[in-house]
Amino acid sequence: MAPKKDAKKPEPPKKAEPAPAPAPAPAPEAPPKPAAVDLSGVKVDFNQDQLEDYREAFGLFDRVGDSKVAYNQIADIMRALGQNPTNKEVTKILGNPTADEMANKRVDFEGFLPMLQFVVNSPNKATYDDYVEGLRVFDKEGNGTVMGAELRIVLSTLGEKMNETEIDALMQGQEDENGCVNYEAFVKHIMSV
Amino acid sequence: HDCNNTLTLPQDEDIMDIPLDDPAANKAAAKIQAGFRGHMTRKKMKDDKPRDEKQREQK
Repeated sequence: MAPKKDAKKPEPPKKAEPAPAPAPAPAPEAPPKPAAVDLSGVKVDFNQDQLEDYREAFGLFDRVGDSKVAYNQIADIMRALGQNPTNKEVTKILGNPTADEMANKRVDFEGFLPMLQFVVNSPNKATYDDYVEGLRVFDKEGNGTVMGAELRIVLSTLGEKMNETEIDALMQGQEDENGCVNYEAFVKHIMSV
Repeated sequence: HDCNNTLTLPQDEDIMDIPLDDPAANKAAAKIQAGFRGHMTRKKMKDDKPRDEKQREQK
């Protein structure tokens, strides 16, 4: 397990300022690219139980044994911990890394926590209604169902496109004998875990 | 205006009205996909790891 390090970033970590400072603090060990998200300004605010849970999940993803995880695992760890960041959000949080950095750059638990906190803090979390209304757009007959085939196409062509494997996994058991998906039930299922 | 608009497509069902270039539609899709991906990762973790602590909820 990673030893608990008290040394965080060089800048003064917490100020009792209600308003955020206008000038973003430079990220300490970041490459010349401007940091898209200023993590040094994020106050990590998890309780001990949460930290234990997070540390354990984090450890599961460490396949090298250096108490770190690769950039390209960050999104999944966040998801494992109940968050639903978009890939774009994670990319921003990681400072728009190159493909090489995504695969090879590693971060330890202390470095991960502000990233997680940032996602936890982010507004516009999707609610049940958001999902349902988003899917209702494709409910042509207004009967509470969407065509599975149509949903698959939407998922693979819009937004952060999903591939066939992901879509198959997602849709497994969701289509009825007519290939229709009851999207309210679908969303409840999605949100249940 | 000239109504000779050859770019107007008939409202057929041959092509679904997928708003590929609509930023709002893409943003909505991305949000849904993010939720889906989150669900799938958690489901996979659950399936891979039948231990009890998975029942502890995150705040």
